[in-house]
Amino acid sequence: MALMVKLPINAALATQQHKSMPIPWSCGRSIGRNISINVSKRRNFLVATASTPAQSVELANTNTSQNVGLPIMVNGCTGKMGRAVLEAAISAGLHPVPVALGGPEDNGKIVDVGGKEIEIHGMSQREDILFSVLNEYPNLIVVDYTVPAAVNENAALYCKVGVPFVMGTTGGDRELLDKTVADSNVYAVISPQMGKQVVAFLAAMEIMAEQFPGAFSGYHLQVMESHQASKLDVSGTAKAVISCFQKLGVSFELDQVQLIRDPKLQIEMVGVPEEHIYGHAFHMYHLTSPDGTVSFEFQHNVCGRSIYAEGTVDALLFLAKKVVKVSDSCMTHFWHPIYFV
Amino acid sequence: MIKLPLNAALAAQQHKSMLIPWSCGRSSSSNVRVNVSKRRNFLVAMESSPVQSTSQNLGLPIMVNGCTGKMGRAVLEAAISAGLHPIPVALGGPLDSGKIVDIGGKEIEIHGTSQREDILSSVLTEYPNLIVVDYTVPAAVNENAALYCKVGVPFVMGTTGGDREQLYKTVENSNVYAVISPQMGKQVVAFLAAMEIMAEQFPGAFFGYHLQVMESHQASKLDVSGTAKAVISCFQKLGVSFEIDQVQLIRDPKLQIEMVGVPEEHISGHAFHMYHLTSPDGTVSFEFQHNVCGRSIYAEGTVDAILFLAKKVQSKADKRIYDMIDVLREGNMR
Repeated sequence: MALMVKLPINAALATQQHKSMPIPWSCGRSIGRNISINVSKRRNFLVATASTPAQSVELANTNTSQNVGLPIMVNGCTGKMGRAVLEAAISAGLHPVPVALGGPEDNGKIVDVGGKEIEIHGMSQREDILFSVLNEYPNLIVVDYTVPAAVNENAALYCKVGVPFVMGTTGGDRELLDKTVADSNVYAVISPQMGKQVVAFLAAMEIMAEQFPGAFSGYHLQVMESHQASKLDVSGTAKAVISCFQKLGVSFELDQVQLIRDPKLQIEMVGVPEEHIYGHAFHMYHLTSPDGTVSFEFQHNVCGRSIYAEGTVDALLFLAKKVVKVSDSCMTHFWHPIYFV
Repeated sequence: MIKLPLNAALAAQQHKSMLIPWSCGRSSSSNVRVNVSKRRNFLVAMESSPVQSTSQNLGLPIMVNGCTGKMGRAVLEAAISAGLHPIPVALGGPLDSGKIVDIGGKEIEIHGTSQREDILSSVLTEYPNLIVVDYTVPAAVNENAALYCKVGVPFVMGTTGGDREQLYKTVENSNVYAVISPQMGKQVVAFLAAMEIMAEQFPGAFFGYHLQVMESHQASKLDVSGTAKAVISCFQKLGVSFEIDQVQLIRDPKLQIEMVGVPEEHISGHAFHMYHLTSPDGTVSFEFQHNVCGRSIYAEGTVDAILFLAKKVQSKADKRIYDMIDVLREGNMR
């Protein structure tokens, strides 16, 4: 393999007197260790300059004094997603109540987070427990990150007791889920994709495809995605974006997606940080014009679950506002994720 | 550096299709550039003739004013490929009178400024479906538009500059159909529109995110591109803090070739843009790129505009003045 002769990017750009830390256009997508290192440096730089996570959760239109004290119950908080939501929520000034629901084997467990203790209750007397918690905290909002098998049962419970909820758990019978909520008076945010900014990107693609059908007719598409090795299928988000490109006139079949699942390639070629090999979602879509003179590239790259936890907090704050507002015009009591992005 | 042989590794994963590393087109080593060149050749080789001439395109007469210039010439070539019919007469500046433009075996005689109205009128009589394309100079925009409106010939205005307000006023006060767009790169317009829609629908969605913008153009372009400014404005609505002076302009040809990945033959005419967003905690990133070499995209977009305008004229549409968004909304014209 030939040695790469690489222009030292920082030095070259320094001579051009550019401000701020430069990012090579291959950033995050490395095929050599050098670029990976630059990426790590860049990420560390960014983490160092980032303010504390609490500040990062600020919404443009949210008064944080309203957040303080908003009681939440995170069901499934013995799991990683639930725990991440607890941490993000506390950072945002929300108030997890000291009780949560879990599966049969979780009964009696204690979840310790931010100095608070949350006692987990299993299946028995869930309705009574939830009722009494709602009595004590009338503004309570439930967050559900449990398991697909529990989705419908849990939704039915929340609707019966009458507590608003954010359903982050995927799977289950989605039609039945919608029906259960529609048949009740309960407010809910239901979204299998809680990565708010990814949803925004996908929505923009969908709008572009709907407004400008065939705009990219004849263009060649290449799609690469990388996830933890345990994920065997093409991501739902990738499928949705590809569907947009097909409406935009691009010929492409799902089996043309290049799935990168080898950790070595993920680190060296894709640029996934080693600590996120077991939990990441990197996507790259590359379009080229028929004569090769024009190219477009879109990437969305997620490490870990922070984006989903932050998105869940946004959903909580949104829902709390809707519950308070009690608008007559809101005939539907649940929102497609588009409406809260 | 020990590098995993990209093709071999991916072949081991049994992936189909030609591979492009995620740094494609943006190379920092000759290896990657070779892959890109191979890919481009591969695409050119497998491509059938660029456009299928439909029976509707055949014979649509066009007059490309300013075709002694590079853009005008590129439009002529793209138009011929698309089955359109450039007529053997075109208008130019005072210095162009008597010139002959040779294209695809055809000859086009250029007329200067004298008797333009008579020439255009008689050409329109001979070719009632005529559509004019204007790629002249900013100083001629308003005068030319006035001429087209007086004679009553529909036109595509590709020339930038001039008094734009006056331009619209002139056309509005006439009965003439026109497509007016300073940006004829249709797909870039689509991308920008998508960003604008996202920003309008989801204000503040990227609050707290860090933005980095790099753009590369031929060294003679000293300012930040209008398209970059428009995209940045979208990100600002999306809640990102960013000032125009933070844009990194790459104008050194050496860097353009080695870092940005601009093909050497396009150093003197290209427009590469990269926008990189990173979440506050650094765990999420988005990247958008649009990279144009040469002027083919503008020529192709102009042909789309011509075909679109012909449709509107023929259907006697109510609306008269259109832009590239209208062309996009119409769908695939070919």
